[in-house]
Amino acid sequence: MNVANKLPQQPLQSPADRRVDLAKPPFLGFGLGLRTQHYEEILNGNPPIDWFEVISENYMLPGGQPLRMLDRIRERYPVVMHGVSLSIASTAPPNFEYLRELRDLARRVEPKWISDHLCWTGVHGKNLHDLLPIPYTNEALDHVVSRVELVQDYLGRAIVLENVSTYVQFNNSEMTEWEFLGELSRRSGCWLLFDVNNVYVSAFNHGYDPHAFLQGIPADRVVQFHMAGHSHMGTHIIDTHDHPVCEDVWDLYVAALKRFGRVSTMIERDDNIPPLDELIIEVNRTREIAEKVVPPLIRQAG
Amino acid sequence: MSDFARQQSAFQRGILTGDDAVLTEILDSPREKREILYGVYRHAYGSRLVEAMRNEHEMLHLYLGDEMFDAMGHAYVAAHPSEHPNLRWFSRSLPDFLKTTEPYRDHPLLSDLAALEKALNDAFDREDAAVIGLADMTAFAPEAWAGLTFQPHPSALRLDLSTNASAIWLALKNEEPPPDAAALEQPCRLLIWRQDVTPMFRELATEEAMMWDEAGIAIPFGVLCSMLATYDDPDGAAARGASYLHGWITAGLLTGVSGGD
Repeated sequence: MNVANKLPQQPLQSPADRRVDLAKPPFLGFGLGLRTQHYEEILNGNPPIDWFEVISENYMLPGGQPLRMLDRIRERYPVVMHGVSLSIASTAPPNFEYLRELRDLARRVEPKWISDHLCWTGVHGKNLHDLLPIPYTNEALDHVVSRVELVQDYLGRAIVLENVSTYVQFNNSEMTEWEFLGELSRRSGCWLLFDVNNVYVSAFNHGYDPHAFLQGIPADRVVQFHMAGHSHMGTHIIDTHDHPVCEDVWDLYVAALKRFGRVSTMIERDDNIPPLDELIIEVNRTREIAEKVVPPLIRQAG
Repeated sequence: MSDFARQQSAFQRGILTGDDAVLTEILDSPREKREILYGVYRHAYGSRLVEAMRNEHEMLHLYLGDEMFDAMGHAYVAAHPSEHPNLRWFSRSLPDFLKTTEPYRDHPLLSDLAALEKALNDAFDREDAAVIGLADMTAFAPEAWAGLTFQPHPSALRLDLSTNASAIWLALKNEEPPPDAAALEQPCRLLIWRQDVTPMFRELATEEAMMWDEAGIAIPFGVLCSMLATYDDPDGAAARGASYLHGWITAGLLTGVSGGD
């Protein structure tokens, strides 16, 4: 038998041709980023948090306490996996060892969805461990669409991609960031994680109106909000995730709720981690604001 | 090479080497010059990796202090750019770096401290495996014991240190003044492992270290006892072997025992 005769005549063409679950992820409510400092308090207290987001790489390990804690929290709460090293926009060949580990972790955790960032982390075998910016060109869009399709084929499910905070813009960009994200989502079938803080940071750094970004994102593609804090340097803002959410970002959250409606929301703190109670106050605020801004939808969720 | 790939190479080169060529492709913002904005990425690269090293090597950081640790960290970052997507593995070459690089190689304690911390970090998240208990040993008749072989827990690791790094590590951990660094006449033979979820280490007597190393390559218990007999009182060798074995089992160091057939 000639195996080549069995192969499709053309590469897979569109999301509809792929054996990938492209269904829209469910609404989970109001969650928090899981951090090691809070393991015991969560397991001993069952705090009123609807779901947890975990940093995938922190659990892409052979064994030990991190995985055991995650298994226990997974028994009680819905979990979402959020990565920082997929490097979906890198022009280097994809790291298939990383993808395999990500897939293996997803099989163990059974997350509600898997997310990462629209960025790259390195080329030529190096990893800069940063969420690096891209030019918004048609060439870059074609490249990222093909990478997203490959990753989705590999994982068998749609992924969710987040807008990152950026500090520079390239002079060869041919479209806005929101146009790029919208096209990427439409063409690849990936969903969008709208990081409200990152929109605020990037808008300030590049001098555009954050509401233009918000209005430019297709409303039906957003499945998650991130809320976080940052560090203001006067002429620019650095996305440090080491402060409480600031009032300007809360205001932008209200606008995001008006545009996107009911969206799974979480508080993301990565440094200067406060006691769990302080973060629960912020989680509660995301819930209270959403209940005011989109009351009928929230009641339906209950 | 596509224009996108060329641009990424230039962007990365600017971060790793200080080459400014990519600045011609970046815009000033309404409030700030591009050099400053691009500098956010340059600064974040080194500081993020050194921060990761601080997290992985808490006691070495405490011992050296912020300034010396960060200078050492930036030298390591320059010599060993990260090649793994997981930050957890970034500092794995630090003990070798400290052993071979001026001025650190003149202070062998530093490499030993880093090696001990690396071993504890590795034990923390190595594979899980069910351990055997003392009850599992009762299944074997006395005459079968000479043929028994043992399987170590995957987290278990032996480390020989030429300095008093373990004493210094313990003092720092207990927030006590560390003793002066000293070279040892005989190596300090450590066994590092994870008991349940907690990384542990302890110093082994020379003959116990030998027995552990040989047991790890499936030398049967009877032969191990004969080997112990060459180290100390031959008449007490079997009892000493049984005592070491008892300690390993109660510490969760063994995951299997097999009868010799």
